[in-house]
Amino acid sequence: MTQNGESVIRVSGLKKYYGDVKAVDGVDFEVGRGEVFGMLGPNGAGKTTTIEVLEGLRPPDSGTVEVLGLDICKKADAIKQRIGVQLQSVSLYPRLTVTELLDLFGSFFAHHVPTKQLIDMVDLGERANARSMNLSGGQQQRLSIALALVNDPELVFLDEPTTGLDPQARRSLWEIVKGLQSRGKSVMLTTHYMEEAAELCDRVAIMDHGHILEMGTVPDLIGRHFKERAVSFDSVATLPLERMSKLAGVTRVAQEDGQTVLYSKDVPATIGGLLAAADEISIDPRNLGIRQATLEDVFLDLTGRALRD
Amino acid sequence: MNTLMRLTVANIRSLVRDRAALFWTIFFPIMFVFLFGWIFGGNADARIAVGFVDMDNTPISNTIKSALSGPDVPITLQVGSLEDEKAAMQRGDVAAIIVVPKGLGDAAITVKSGGHASVALQLYLDPSKQSTNQVVQAVAAGISNNFNLGLAGGSVVLSVDQQSLSSTNINNVAYLVPSILAMALMQLGVFAALPLVQQREKGILKRIGATPLPRWMLVASNILLRLLVAVVNTVLIVGIGVVFFNVKITGNVALAAGFVFLGSGAFLSLGFALASFLKTEEQATGVVQVVQMPMMFLSGIFFPFDFLPDFLRTIARLMPLTYLGDALRQTMVNSTQVAPLAVDAAVLAGWLVVCLAIAARSFRWE
Repeated sequence: MTQNGESVIRVSGLKKYYGDVKAVDGVDFEVGRGEVFGMLGPNGAGKTTTIEVLEGLRPPDSGTVEVLGLDICKKADAIKQRIGVQLQSVSLYPRLTVTELLDLFGSFFAHHVPTKQLIDMVDLGERANARSMNLSGGQQQRLSIALALVNDPELVFLDEPTTGLDPQARRSLWEIVKGLQSRGKSVMLTTHYMEEAAELCDRVAIMDHGHILEMGTVPDLIGRHFKERAVSFDSVATLPLERMSKLAGVTRVAQEDGQTVLYSKDVPATIGGLLAAADEISIDPRNLGIRQATLEDVFLDLTGRALRD
Repeated sequence: MNTLMRLTVANIRSLVRDRAALFWTIFFPIMFVFLFGWIFGGNADARIAVGFVDMDNTPISNTIKSALSGPDVPITLQVGSLEDEKAAMQRGDVAAIIVVPKGLGDAAITVKSGGHASVALQLYLDPSKQSTNQVVQAVAAGISNNFNLGLAGGSVVLSVDQQSLSSTNINNVAYLVPSILAMALMQLGVFAALPLVQQREKGILKRIGATPLPRWMLVASNILLRLLVAVVNTVLIVGIGVVFFNVKITGNVALAAGFVFLGSGAFLSLGFALASFLKTEEQATGVVQVVQMPMMFLSGIFFPFDFLPDFLRTIARLMPLTYLGDALRQTMVNSTQVAPLAVDAAVLAGWLVVCLAIAARSFRWE
């Protein structure tokens, strides 16, 4: 499953319930050394619970969880020395500066990276003496990643590192994650942004209702679900879906964000048919477009809903 | 150790940079010392107008009158009949009345010739004027002492008989300084719940939980910070009492210091225990007030324990602040006791152990 066979994470049969809520309900996966592994899913899918079990923050109800070859239930302290953790939307001691926080967290570990180097790595040089409460959202997130790297970890966990950031801040974070990978770190991240998973991850797992629905590289997943390309246009009530599904080349029809999506093996024939059908009732399909199927389409296909809701 | 020191320094920085927290932990108690110091300390230079009624009218009673008129006595006499002086006190022209009863001269003669006799100076006081009353009482007691000494080598001829006021009169600055210190230590401990709840709510505790830092260090650094602030509070409050309000620390300083730490520890564990059950910062702010307000008012801090009606006294007997205040007053200014020091120590230690056990069982890191 991985390039050289060595796994930094090995999870099998993991379950974690909160009362009646089956937050994680039987999950199996492995992450190889040097890999960037993404866990994709809507809020409440069980991504954060899974990652927090791996970080040693919550005990699993059942299943085995090995991180860096060690059992999380028995060797949590040894594991914590060697992993980096960034939690979802955590705020830090608000009145300490960037430098003070990095120095402080460094002192928690047996070995740590010089603070200056960390600050450069996440490009916070100009804000080194700013209190964390005064940083922008993107800067706080970069600080939070720097804090995850103080101990030069082999494996880094990033829980929704870009949620709530503007596109520019998100791109700058992506660069940092790519930098980690190029330095040989293994990364496990969760996200609900498809393009983020597609951009960063070697492999993704799609998670919903506590289960992993699909797992693989992004092209694999798309290829597994779609041989077709997608023809989309703004939905029109007078073009019934059954009629659309009978157009030449169409294999599947879906509704997504007010658009009708026709997955087609023969795009020219499908578009010809669509335009003819539209012409009969004298309408002009708006925002007509053709694209490759994406992870978004895979998710829609697997769960019957768009990821963003 | 290095890690513990860094964590403690981080806590100190967080406190010092948080103006609101700094105000409540350091400056609020100091404000109380000044405020109550000025209210109850009075103005030492002001002379108090006192009515003087001489019912004896002998050379002996005249001696007393001239003694009371001396330049070192901080009162000015206004001589008149008892009725006139009572009316003057009603109007507020005099703050108190001293009455020399008939028979003082005769009593003095009897004693001089070897017999036994005694008479009492009568004081009319206004219960609402505490600090004034203390001055008048002190003056009257001084006069009668001198009189007795001069007359008969100590046998009591003249005593002071106080009218119209209960004998409780300790509400002065010397009483207040240890009391305010006790209040400050109580608040320091109980308010420790707030940053803990805040750090948990914001996920800071959880984030630290994902590092190898042992949790006891997090707790220890919190305790170190609070004990440090307790020392700062003690030095400032007692220092201001001594420098600005002439409070004399007459008790056992080492024992007082011991109670400062024991009390801080007890209230800190109460704070930890509270933080175990409180989920949000808003909730914590409210509950902490509900806990600290009644203690502040019922524990003999601002008025003596004996003033309380029985049912409130029973409640106050359950409150740890009652015992810390009592212990600090006893050990710092030799005040009269609510309970023996050993009982104070036992009650505080009991609260410390019970609250710590509750916190250890119930505290949640997220």
